[in-house]
Amino acid sequence: LRRCLAFVDMRHLEESFQGIKRAIQAKDTFPNITILSTAETLRSIKPVDVCCVTKSLLEFYMDRVFKDHQELKPQALRTISSVANSFLYMQKALQQCQVQRRCPCSEEATNATRMVYDNYDQLEVPSAATKSLGELDVFLAWIAKNHQKTSPA
Amino acid sequence: MKNVLRWDPPDSLQGAAVTYTVQYFIYGQKRWLNKPDCKNISRTYCDLSDETSDYEHQYYAKVKAIWKTNCSRWTETGRFYPFLETQIGPPEVALTTDAKSISIVLTAPDKWKRNAEDCTISMQQIYSNLKYNVSVYNVKSKRMWSQCVTNHTLVLSWLEPNTLYCVQAESFVPGLPRRAEPSQKHCISTLEDPTSALK
Repeated sequence: LRRCLAFVDMRHLEESFQGIKRAIQAKDTFPNITILSTAETLRSIKPVDVCCVTKSLLEFYMDRVFKDHQELKPQALRTISSVANSFLYMQKALQQCQVQRRCPCSEEATNATRMVYDNYDQLEVPSAATKSLGELDVFLAWIAKNHQKTSPA
Repeated sequence: MKNVLRWDPPDSLQGAAVTYTVQYFIYGQKRWLNKPDCKNISRTYCDLSDETSDYEHQYYAKVKAIWKTNCSRWTETGRFYPFLETQIGPPEVALTTDAKSISIVLTAPDKWKRNAEDCTISMQQIYSNLKYNVSVYNVKSKRMWSQCVTNHTLVLSWLEPNTLYCVQAESFVPGLPRRAEPSQKHCISTLEDPTSALK
């Protein structure tokens, strides 16, 4: 994945999201449900599946979450659109990788992504979108961590 | 990743015999969990390090005050994500010198552990993109400069011989605004320049 997203400035993304994270997470009234299932789903992704899962989750955020999320606050809207623009840029980079066939999708990767969509569909759309947005820091941290070399923890 | 919940006593009950009870919640799980040794306590903090040791999970905590037969509402934290919010300690700094250079060796801090015999995990293993900010101070000229370092060694060259230099370093992970904790100041003097003795 490093070659595919080597030039993406994760720092700017993470810092801009930090500004709206508390407000968005405060609107999440279902703490007993997670969309990205931090420990179970993302942590278990193998390095070979990182590109595919990244691509799938970028699609999830671009085609579902950002479209479904109803946001009124201008600052949050600006941040979300800046994140969306960065994701668009990352999608294009990953498409290049796929063209050069360096983005395989195993069954495990596909299952992991399906679990995310299943979690999303458990909730009503506005709640699901708000919860997914509140978990953006988890996704960004996962990208940053897998963008570097994989380290045993 | 020593995680301690702290709170302030209720304004209206300063000095009264108030006790507190704490619960915590693992995001995505089903219910609030008790912390037995933080039940009916009079101190205003509770160490939840063991309960939040899986740094890739996210957590909430809440506390309520009890005074005589009265019980306050719960006060709840925001969602806490140790992986992104923990403060990373300073690296260990080791210096060696010759006439015109100082070699700096940095060792990443270790993850907090409760017992000395617990296994040691370096923060470098958790944050593979861990970096260091090294500040160098020339005591004679009072000049200071800083450098960002990715690997563990840094050689400062073209220094003044026979001069005291002080070095301080802090660890950081690019991306998130965390307060950095600088190391102690380590000072060392460059040696006499052997060639100047020949003149």
